[in-house]
Amino acid sequence: MKPAFSFSIFLLLLTTPGGLTVRAAAAPDFNRDVRPVLAQYCFKCHGMDEHGRKGKLRLDQEEAAHGKGKSGEIAIVPGKPDESEVIKRIFSTDEDDMMPPPSTKTTMPDAAKEVIKAWIASGAKYQQHWAYVPPKQVAVPGSGALEAPSAVENRRSSVVHPIDALVRERLEKEGLKPSPEADRYTLVRRVYVDLIGLPPTAAEADAFVKASDAYDKSDPAYEKLVDTLLSSKQYGERWARRWLDLARYADTNGFEKDRPRNIWPYRDWVVKALNADMPFDQFTIKQLAGDMLPHPTPDDLIATGFHRNTMLNEEGGIDPNEYRFYAMVDRVAVTGTTWFGLTLNCVQCHTHKYDPIDHSEFYKLMALLNNADEPAYYIDTPDIIDQRAKKAALVAKLEADLPTKFPGGKEAMEKKFDEWLGSESPKASHWQVIKPATMKSSMPHLEQQVDGYILGSGDITKSDTYDFTFDRSIKGVRALKLEVASHPSLPNDGPGLTYYEGPLGGFFLSELHVLKNGERVKIADADETNSEEEDRISDAAAGAKPKAAAAKAGKAAAKAKARKQSNASATQDGEMSSGWQVLGGAGQHHAAVFVFEKPIDIDSTFALKMQFERHFACPLGNFRLSVTTDDHATAMRCPPEIEALLAKPAGQLTGNDRAQMQREFLMAAPEMKMHADQIIANRRDPRGQATLVMRERPANNPRPTHRYHRGEYLSPKEEVSPAVPAFLPSLPGNAPANRLTFAKWLVSPENPLTARVTVNRQWQAFFGRGLVKSLEDFGYQSQPPSHPELLDWLAVEFMKQGWSMKKLHRLIVTSATYKQSSRITPELAQRDPENVLLARGSRFRLDAEIIRDSALKAAGVLSLKMGGPGVYPPQPASVTSEGTYGKVDWKVSEGEDRYRRSLYTFTKRTAPFAMATTFDAPTGESCLARRDVSNSPLQALTLLNDQMFMEAAQQMAKKVIAESQSDADRLQNIFRRCATRPAAADELAMLKTFLQKQRDKKLEGEALWTAVCRAALNLDETVTHP
Amino acid sequence: MNTPNITRRHFFHDCAVGTGKIALASLLAESAYGASRSPNMAAPTHFQPKAKAVIHMFMAGAPSQLEMFDHKPMLTKYEGKPLPPSIIGGQRYAFIRPDAAVLGPRFKFAKHGQCGAELSEVLPHLATIVDDIAIVKSCRTTQFNHAPAQIFMNTGFSQPGRPSMGSWITYGLGAETRDLPSFVVMSTGSGISGGAACWSSGFLPSVYSGTRFRNTGDPILNVSTPQGIDSGTQKDTIDLINAMNQRRLKLDGDGETATRIANYEMAYRLQTSAPELMDLTKEDEATLKMYGCNPKEPSFARACLLARRMVERGVRFINIYNEGWDAHSNVEGNVKSNCAKTDQASAALVKDLKQRGLLDSTLVVWGGEFGRTPMVEASVALGRSMGRDHHPQAFTMWLAGGGIKGGVTLGATDEMGFNIIEDEVHVADLHATILHCLGIDHDRLTFRAAGLDFRLVGVEPCHVVKEILA
Repeated sequence: MKPAFSFSIFLLLLTTPGGLTVRAAAAPDFNRDVRPVLAQYCFKCHGMDEHGRKGKLRLDQEEAAHGKGKSGEIAIVPGKPDESEVIKRIFSTDEDDMMPPPSTKTTMPDAAKEVIKAWIASGAKYQQHWAYVPPKQVAVPGSGALEAPSAVENRRSSVVHPIDALVRERLEKEGLKPSPEADRYTLVRRVYVDLIGLPPTAAEADAFVKASDAYDKSDPAYEKLVDTLLSSKQYGERWARRWLDLARYADTNGFEKDRPRNIWPYRDWVVKALNADMPFDQFTIKQLAGDMLPHPTPDDLIATGFHRNTMLNEEGGIDPNEYRFYAMVDRVAVTGTTWFGLTLNCVQCHTHKYDPIDHSEFYKLMALLNNADEPAYYIDTPDIIDQRAKKAALVAKLEADLPTKFPGGKEAMEKKFDEWLGSESPKASHWQVIKPATMKSSMPHLEQQVDGYILGSGDITKSDTYDFTFDRSIKGVRALKLEVASHPSLPNDGPGLTYYEGPLGGFFLSELHVLKNGERVKIADADETNSEEEDRISDAAAGAKPKAAAAKAGKAAAKAKARKQSNASATQDGEMSSGWQVLGGAGQHHAAVFVFEKPIDIDSTFALKMQFERHFACPLGNFRLSVTTDDHATAMRCPPEIEALLAKPAGQLTGNDRAQMQREFLMAAPEMKMHADQIIANRRDPRGQATLVMRERPANNPRPTHRYHRGEYLSPKEEVSPAVPAFLPSLPGNAPANRLTFAKWLVSPENPLTARVTVNRQWQAFFGRGLVKSLEDFGYQSQPPSHPELLDWLAVEFMKQGWSMKKLHRLIVTSATYKQSSRITPELAQRDPENVLLARGSRFRLDAEIIRDSALKAAGVLSLKMGGPGVYPPQPASVTSEGTYGKVDWKVSEGEDRYRRSLYTFTKRTAPFAMATTFDAPTGESCLARRDVSNSPLQALTLLNDQMFMEAAQQMAKKVIAESQSDADRLQNIFRRCATRPAAADELAMLKTFLQKQRDKKLEGEALWTAVCRAALNLDETVTHP
Repeated sequence: MNTPNITRRHFFHDCAVGTGKIALASLLAESAYGASRSPNMAAPTHFQPKAKAVIHMFMAGAPSQLEMFDHKPMLTKYEGKPLPPSIIGGQRYAFIRPDAAVLGPRFKFAKHGQCGAELSEVLPHLATIVDDIAIVKSCRTTQFNHAPAQIFMNTGFSQPGRPSMGSWITYGLGAETRDLPSFVVMSTGSGISGGAACWSSGFLPSVYSGTRFRNTGDPILNVSTPQGIDSGTQKDTIDLINAMNQRRLKLDGDGETATRIANYEMAYRLQTSAPELMDLTKEDEATLKMYGCNPKEPSFARACLLARRMVERGVRFINIYNEGWDAHSNVEGNVKSNCAKTDQASAALVKDLKQRGLLDSTLVVWGGEFGRTPMVEASVALGRSMGRDHHPQAFTMWLAGGGIKGGVTLGATDEMGFNIIEDEVHVADLHATILHCLGIDHDRLTFRAAGLDFRLVGVEPCHVVKEILA
């Protein structure tokens, strides 16, 4: 073993419990050798964290480390280990002196002690952590005119690929040689699964192999294939899946109820963006702050779904703002993992023990992301806009035609109309809108609208209160009217602000206090326009309620009781669990009228208080207050402007007034119900597909962000202002410190982390291991990169190439390093089992989705239909019906949806698709930078016995029987569908023996060939990246 | 994350179902790079273990301790009156207002056994084994909603994403059997609020995830051969796959291929061992009667009996969920019906383990995710009455078997049953105690993920509950 190699794995050796000794020939490198030791054994007490610091000593900063600690001794004396207190302490065996102290139950290995000693002897120089220094592109050694090393079987010898140059430089130092290029079949299979997540068919593979016939020094067939695959629509689907792991994408809300959510338009946006090769900087900005771009397109809004993939707890009785807080914590942490390669979770509670981020910096980062509301966005497509115009035209026509439809003609209509006026007019009152002089709210933000409506927005709680005072002066007021109406800014269009657990867009007014001089005014009578809807409301309330132990009979009785209690008069009973409610939805307009026992004067001594209280948050979102001095006020179902006309003395009515009333009459007349219903149905605005988005808050209602002591939601401390951690370049001074500026900053060339973290993740996808092993952590505790210069070269090149993902992927797959055979020779198995040095190609099990999609493609049934709502491929019913609280009836999709790419499988967080889980796919409950690659008997059972794989085998058998005649042809056909390459003679012989054995057992036809297909689908090669 | 590298795994390729057979010592070596665990530890466990298996009967929904274990006659005395605000503090509730009136216990209590442990009349079977169990009346959690509290009780963290206790333990101790999964999860009720996060391996390698045993269809998904494939063909198929994979292994030299070959053999064995485990025909009538188990019907009792059979076969960690304790209304009826489902079988499980000499090496844990309020829950809108809301401040659990002292009652709450006044046992303390019984030091069972060293017990100090140790 050459010294260079032993040096480069310095740490690896010293921490191997086998106890290999370190050759202290060279001075240890601070970043590579020393900091990891200090980070692991010292920083917890002698690092960043002021509160955890012991002995007033910090060893993470050169100046401090070279000074005195509390003991008065100098911790580190450069060049003089024997005079350094640190050395005395770490070599001490005295329990009172030794470091780390026995109480930590941590022992520093001897080799690590030697590293520190050697480092101090060599001058104890500190270096900035490699990941926090901007990457620089080194001149690539040997690229350009140089010949490739003769031992390398790379036929493209005229120019060395920069990746190869940097990889080989290292290999040469280690005395290793690259492996020969993989054979053509291996290569075509590898590049297909890597770039599009599907293996080639035999014909696709053969086409490539044939086109390669003439290849010698250059490989045009391969380059062409790479370009074809990069422009394939399936490319975006394959790479979207990896991104969605980070985005913690799923189709349900998570936690107990785990109800379905609609956010698949975001998933489809990712596919589209990747297929269009959207530059990664744009890809980043749109997902974090698309809503804040000037004139955002629908796609820009959809993109902000990235951070809407947080979970939503709809369990009865949760504190919604506590779970919003957790979602914010998650957003900060996910941003850290995805762009910074930093673990920020721990900084939620305390200053980072290892990396230079302090506790309040976590909340400063949070403040950057924390100023958005979280609505559903209904996507306006050209089709929707067109439908809307058509409907409007139709409604106009129907309304115009309405008078002609009256049975008995004009005369009959006039007669009935007069009768209607006669009965309705006496009920009408003169209402005047009163606008509050002051509005106070426990949490939601209230804003006066020009039409007298008050619009609520922002955060809400399980117990909200609105207080209003007035400065108008109206004498002899006899009744108050509370109107509630839909508004597009509210959840499900309002009129309430309920966004989880209860009826969406509904509200529940527990108590309404009409106050005069602080005393509650007695209400003689209360009435509401939606009393006939009570049934529906009570049913919805029952539906929203968690499973109680109440027996069925009890439930019915409870419902009847609830019905009686859920109306306007229940707001006067002092009981918070009864009240008035309206369900959410577009086009809602309702009112409750409260008639006072005695007339009162409205003036500054008059006030209103509204209380909204349920086991979910339920305040009003859009409402208006009016009063009347009339003595017969009642809640009329007609619109307020009609009531105003009805209340006018007949003599004052204009022709226009009458026409307006007539239209209302026609809509309300029992004779016209059929026509009116048609109009009502068409008035409903066609809504596009909903998706979850971010919407920056208006300037007059910013959300403050606090630091939370120990990360506890119940311990908010001082307010913090938005900022990025101090150890990184600061935000530009000329832009507001907000989400958009932050997103742009993340992808600015000065940021040392984003490009490195991103290229490293891509590298891992192709090689199974990142240049930095921990994709999610580039901090002090991470292993240094195996090829630092290559990582930096790629990072800079990525930015130079306009953050183009496709160019980066092309760069990687066209390197000889990528094209190497993945055969693990005994020498390599011993020297470099993890393939850190890249002396060979990488062989690893395929991702869950690729395994399933490959089987479907092998069977010839894979549907390439793109996009749309999640689908339900076959899986045992018990997966979603047993043991989960929020059960889902897994109704297996019909037709091609049964065989869609796995990207489109409906993902339920608390009971995920079983096959995917078995093969390590995430649940979407947390961000995942790198999946585990396990190998288990349960996987064998799935491939052998799962219904979906059995179906694939059956379908494949049918095709093979039809396509090929002889046994040999059929066996070869099957083998190639699964493993791509042709089977060798001895493999065919094994298959034949199996075939014969099954024939002997009287298996024949499809059943016989299904058995063969099934075996082939289980081969190691079928599920492996070769 | 610290996925075991390929050659290590190859080296240990006698891995068992769902769990690599890698004992603690080798894991230490495995994650030695940057791990904070002491690398000079050679023993497979940190100290001599008492238990080698755990059965956790998880009473999801949260049973009412006030109706079963924690006798509070004062609640009867003050029934209908609210608690003073000084007792309630700032506690948030799921459904009730903090000023709700208190509700007296719905059942009679009496003392049992030599130890004189107090239990209510709804637990006649548990009353017969009080001298074998340790009752902890002073359990406390931080969560007051089901999903986060269940996830917290299982993983030590209130959000999904961390490894569950079963995963930590199988990761730490390895597998005892090659024929069954090491960490099994059974659900016998209406559904688990925390979902799959309750038995997730989190950032540990995914082989440490719990394996669901199901009530309908295959007990383990896909454990039976599909229709149209007979057992002979299944055997031939596996032989063919493995022969072809052997050939591949020779060419590519990939340790993963070797592991896969072993896994197909194990999968084949599992196809026999799972039905054998589920087959209760060999259980005698007296045993079935003791559990109150109808072998044909899925039930809590059957799950308990299966759990004993699993322990006999080397399964390391078993979760049995009984859901349905969430008594927001009619706490009396709720407790009655849930005790009718669970009391006999939970007691029978302890007795059965004891009579077979397995109790000493099996730790049995019984309890929910939190307790229930001394205050009554009633709601007009929801049609609820005479219920109790969620109460994180105090609840009761019991433990028995491996490492636990029988006949102990630990901890006490105030006379209203609201706050703990003696020997608080936080969830993390409970975790530390369970690990202790298995010979694991809770401080030293760590795993490096994303640059941090995680522990089941989290970062706050916690302690082993010595008072209940044998």
